[in-house]
Amino acid sequence: MTGMEILLLVAFGGVMLTYILGRISSSLRNTFAVVLSLVLVVIIALMYDKTGETIFYRGFFGIPMVLRINSLSWIFAMTISFIGCLSVIFSLDYMKVKERTSFFYAMLLLVNSSMMGIVLAGDLLTLFIFWEIMSWSTFLLISYNGGPAIAAGMKYIVMSFAGSMAMLAGIISIFTAFGTLQISEIAAGMSSASSGFKIFIVIVFGIAFGVKNAIWPFHAWLPQAHAEAPSPFSAVLSGVLIKMGVFGFILTMYVVVGLGTYMSLGGAIFSVRSILLVMGAITILVPTFVALLQDDAKKLLAWSTIAQAGYIMLGIAYGTSLSMAGGVLHFLSHVVFKSLLFMTVGAVEFRTGGIRDLNSLGGLIKKMPFAFTGTLIGVCGLIGVPLTNGFVSKWLIYKSLIFGSPLLTFVALFGTWGTVLYSYKLIHNIFLGQLPEKLKDVENTPLSMKLPMIILSFTVLLFGILPGLPLRVINKIVVSLGFDSLNISLWGIVSESGMLNMINLFAAILAGLIAVWLFLRIGARTIPVKQDDNYAAGAAVPRDRYNYTVKFYDPLLRMISPYLRDIFDTFYMKIADLTGYLSNGIRKIYTGYVGNYVMYIVLFISLMIFVQMKWSPW
Amino acid sequence: MVNPVLLIAVPLGLAFMVPLIDSASRKLTRFVPVAALLFNLILCIRLIPAVLENPIVINLGGFTPPFGINLFVGPLGLLFAGLISLAGLVVSIYSLSYIKNGPVVKYHMLYMLLLTGATGVVLTGDLFNLFVFFEILCISSYALVAYHGDRAGIESSIKYLIQGTVGSGLLLIGIGFIYGIFGTLNMADIAMKIATVEQSTLFVPMILMVAGLGVESAIFPLNAWLPDAHSSAPSSISAILSGIAIEVGLYAVARIVFTVFGISDIYLFFAFLGILTLLIGEMCAFAQSNIKRMLAYSSIGQIGLILFALALATNNTVTGGLFQLVNHTFSKGLLFLSAGYMIYRSGSMEISSLNGMGKRMPLTSLAFTVGAFSLVGLPPFAGFPGKFLIVSGALLKGEMVINILVGLVLLSTVIEGTYFFRVIQALYFKDGNGEQRKQAPATAVTAMIALMILIVALGVYPKFLADFLSSASSDLLDKMSYVGSVLK
Repeated sequence: MTGMEILLLVAFGGVMLTYILGRISSSLRNTFAVVLSLVLVVIIALMYDKTGETIFYRGFFGIPMVLRINSLSWIFAMTISFIGCLSVIFSLDYMKVKERTSFFYAMLLLVNSSMMGIVLAGDLLTLFIFWEIMSWSTFLLISYNGGPAIAAGMKYIVMSFAGSMAMLAGIISIFTAFGTLQISEIAAGMSSASSGFKIFIVIVFGIAFGVKNAIWPFHAWLPQAHAEAPSPFSAVLSGVLIKMGVFGFILTMYVVVGLGTYMSLGGAIFSVRSILLVMGAITILVPTFVALLQDDAKKLLAWSTIAQAGYIMLGIAYGTSLSMAGGVLHFLSHVVFKSLLFMTVGAVEFRTGGIRDLNSLGGLIKKMPFAFTGTLIGVCGLIGVPLTNGFVSKWLIYKSLIFGSPLLTFVALFGTWGTVLYSYKLIHNIFLGQLPEKLKDVENTPLSMKLPMIILSFTVLLFGILPGLPLRVINKIVVSLGFDSLNISLWGIVSESGMLNMINLFAAILAGLIAVWLFLRIGARTIPVKQDDNYAAGAAVPRDRYNYTVKFYDPLLRMISPYLRDIFDTFYMKIADLTGYLSNGIRKIYTGYVGNYVMYIVLFISLMIFVQMKWSPW
Repeated sequence: MVNPVLLIAVPLGLAFMVPLIDSASRKLTRFVPVAALLFNLILCIRLIPAVLENPIVINLGGFTPPFGINLFVGPLGLLFAGLISLAGLVVSIYSLSYIKNGPVVKYHMLYMLLLTGATGVVLTGDLFNLFVFFEILCISSYALVAYHGDRAGIESSIKYLIQGTVGSGLLLIGIGFIYGIFGTLNMADIAMKIATVEQSTLFVPMILMVAGLGVESAIFPLNAWLPDAHSSAPSSISAILSGIAIEVGLYAVARIVFTVFGISDIYLFFAFLGILTLLIGEMCAFAQSNIKRMLAYSSIGQIGLILFALALATNNTVTGGLFQLVNHTFSKGLLFLSAGYMIYRSGSMEISSLNGMGKRMPLTSLAFTVGAFSLVGLPPFAGFPGKFLIVSGALLKGEMVINILVGLVLLSTVIEGTYFFRVIQALYFKDGNGEQRKQAPATAVTAMIALMILIVALGVYPKFLADFLSSASSDLLDKMSYVGSVLK
C-alpha cells in the first residue's frame, strides 16, 4: 500500500469512526476528530516532493482507478488537510450549542476526505466519483441550519449537479474517444484530437469547474450557500472547496488539453483563452461591488470570494509562468485569509448570538480583541497590503498582466479599490464605532476559535514576508505544467517584468513603524476617551441613539446599485420557474378519467398503424 | 441438477396452500411467502453456474419444441427470476409487520401469485404461456392495489383493471395474428420463421403485442394507470409493482421485440419513446407534492431510461440498462418501503408532512436517502455504474441523434435530482412537529438494511454483477443462439 491509499483509507475510515464514536460520547468524538485531522496533515506533509502513480482499484468494470501524487496535488491536498484541521478545531466550541453534531463532524470530515480524493485522482473516473461525493456531502452541510439554508442548499446542489452532469458527458466522451481515463494517457490522445472535440471538452469541464469555482455567470449559488452554512464550514467552503474548481481548470487546460494547444485553441477573437480572461475580469468587477451592497457579514465575504476567484482565474487563464505562479499563489493566499475572515466573523456570530447584520454590530474591538486582530490581518491580506500574502500574489498577477493586457490590469486594480471599500466596511461595522447597548456583555473569543485564528494570521504574515516558502513548491508545479522556471529566492522573486524583495520592504516598513512609534512616544500624551464619546459639535449624543455603522457608503451604493442587478441569478430562477410551470402542464396529461387513458392506448396503436400504412418507415 | 420448474411450481402450490395453512395455524400464514421466496432465491443461486455455461431448456410434458410448451432458463431469465425472488423475499420480510389489518390471508396468497406470474413470464418460451402468466401477474396486482378497501384504492384498482384488460386484449389479438401467420406459438420457432414473412405483414401484430405489454410496462402514453395504482396500493405492494411488475413487462417487450421479431429498423423509435417516457415521468414527478405519486412517476422515468438503454441494442447499453434495472428494483423498493413507514407515522402522503422525519425515524430516513441518492445516480451507490454504462455505451455508437438523446438523459437526471433532494431536505433540515423518536419495527428495518447493503455493495463493486449482466445482455441480443438452444 502506498501513502496515498493509506491516506484515503484513514480519511474515509475516520469519517465512519467519528460518527460511531459520536453515538458513544461527544468529547471522545471531538478528540478523535481533531487527532484524525492532525494525522492527515502529517501524512500529507510526509508526502512532500514525492511523485508517483498507483492503480488502487479495478472493481469498477475493470477500469483501472488510479491515484497519483505530484506537486500540484500535494499543494492542494496540504491546503485541504490544513484548513480541514483548523475548521475542526474551530468547530469544537462553535458546534457545542447545536444539534446533530456527530452528523456535522462526519460530513465535515467526509467533505475533506473526498476533496483529497479529487486532488489525488489519477484518472477522471476516480475524480468524478470523489467529486460527486463531495457535492452531496456539501449539500447536506449547507442545508444543515434549516430555514433559509434550505433554499441555499437547493440552489447549490442543482447548479452543482448540472455541472457534474456536463462533466460526466465530457469524461465519457473522452473514454469513448481514447479508451482510457488515466489523466497521463489522455494528454497523449488529446494532442491528436480535432479542435472541435477539444473545445467541447473545455466547455463541458468549464461548466463543471466554473460552477464549483463560482466564475461569472455560474456564481449564483455561492452567496446564499456561504452565508447560510455553519461558519466553520463556510471557511472550508470558501477556502478550499470552491478551489476544487481551480484545480479542475488547471487540470483541464494545462494537463488534459496541454499548454501549447490551450494558448491557440479557438478563433482569433473568440479564443478559449480570451473568453476565460474576460470571464475572470467580469468575475472580479461585478461581485466586488455587489459585496459593497451587502449588509450581512457572511454574504459580504461570500461575494468577495467570488471576486477573488476572478483574480485566480485571470492568473491561471493568462498562461505565462509568472501569471500561473500568481494564480496558484493567490489561491493559497485566498485560502488562508478568507478562512481566517470567515472564522472571525463566525466567532462574532457565535458570541453575539447569531448576529451577522453589519447594521446592528459595532464597537466590538475591546470585547473581542483577538477577532479584531484576525480580521485586520485577514482584511490586509484581502486588499493586498505589503507584508501580507495577498500582496505577493496580487503583485505577481499585476506584473504578468501589465505589459500584455493593460485593460485587464486596470480591471484588477479597480477591483482592488472596491476591495478596500468593502473590507473597511466589514471591519469598521463590526469592530469600530460605538458598541450597541445590547452587546455590552459580549465575551472574548473562546480558545478553540483563537487557536486557528492565530495560526492563520501568522501564515498570512509568514507567506507575505517569506513568499519563497510557497513559491518554491509552486515553481515545481509551474515547471511540471510546461512553463519556464522562475527565479525564486526565499525573500522574493526576480523576473523580466520586475523584481520583488520582501525583506527590503519588511525592513523599510519596520523602520517606518519604529519612527512613528518614537514620534508618538516623544510627542504630546494622548487622552483616552470612551468608546461612545463621539464628537458631535459640543452637543451631547445620547447613547445608542446614533449608530454610525448604519447605511455605510449610502450615496455610493445608491449610485451603483442600479448597475448591479444579478441578471444570471434571475435567469436561473426563471428557468426553475419555467420547469415547474412546464411540469405542471405536462402533469395534466394524466387527467384522472379512465376513458381518456383508454383513448391514449387506442390512439397510440392507431397512430402507429397509420404512420406505417402511410409512409411505411419500417 | 435442480429442476427450474420448481421456481414456478413451489410458489404456485404454496399460494393455494395459504388458506389451508391459515386454518391450521394463524401465526404461520405470514411466513409462507418468506419460505417460498427463500427457496426460490436459493434455487436461482444454485442454477447460476449451470446457466452461465449453457441455457437450460425444459420441455414441459415431454413434448419437444415447437410442439410443447418449453421453459427457457437463460442468464436473462435467471437474472429476472433471481431479482423477483430477492425483492420478493425482502418485501415479504417487510410485510411481516407492515400487513396486520385487513384480509391478510388473501394478501399473502395474491402476493405469491403475483410473483409466480412474474417468474413465469420471464422463464417461459411460449407466447400463449407468456400471456397466461402475464394475466396471473396482472389480475393479482389489480386485487392487491385495492387491498385497503378504501375509495381511492378501489377507484384506482378499477382504472388499472380497465386499462390492463384493454392491454391484455390487444396482446391476445396480437398473439392470435402471429398464430394465424406462423401456425406456432413457440417463441424460438417464430423467431426462426420470421424472415420468411414480409416485414410489413408483421407490423400490426408486433405493435399490438408491444402496446398490450406496454400498458403493464408503463411506456408512455400507455402508463396512465401507474401513478394512481402505485400511490394507493399498500407500500409493500407499491415496491413490488414498481420494482418487479413493470420491469417484467419491460422484459416481455424486449423479448418480443429483440428475440421474436428482431426488426432492427424500429429500435431507434423505441429509443425515442424511452426518452419521451423518461422526460415526461421525471417532469410529472417534479410537479408532485404527494410522496408516493412522486415515486410512482419517477418509476415511469426510470422505465423510460431502461427502455432507451435496451433500445440502443449494443452489449454495453443493454448491460447498463439491466444494471439500472437491478438498481431500480432495489432503490425504488427501498424508497417505497421507507416511505411506507414514514407515511404510517405521519398519517399523510404529503411531502410537507414528512418534515423533520430525520429526527423521528433516523434509520428509515437514512434508507430513503440512500435509495434516493442511488436512483439519482450518485456514487458510491448502485445507480452510478448503471448510468455510466448506459451513457458510455450510447456515446460509443457515435451518432449525433443518440448524442442529443444522451444530453436529454443527463438533463432529466438533473430534474430527478432536484425533486429527490427536496424531499431529503424536508426529512432532515425542516422542523416537524416534535413527536418522539420511534423506529420502524425490526422486520421492516431488517428489510431496509438488506437493501441498503445491496445498493452500497453494488455501487462499490459493480464488477460483481457485470459479467453476469453481460451474458444476460447477449442472451437478449443474440437471437440465433436462443433459437439454436431451444430447437436443437
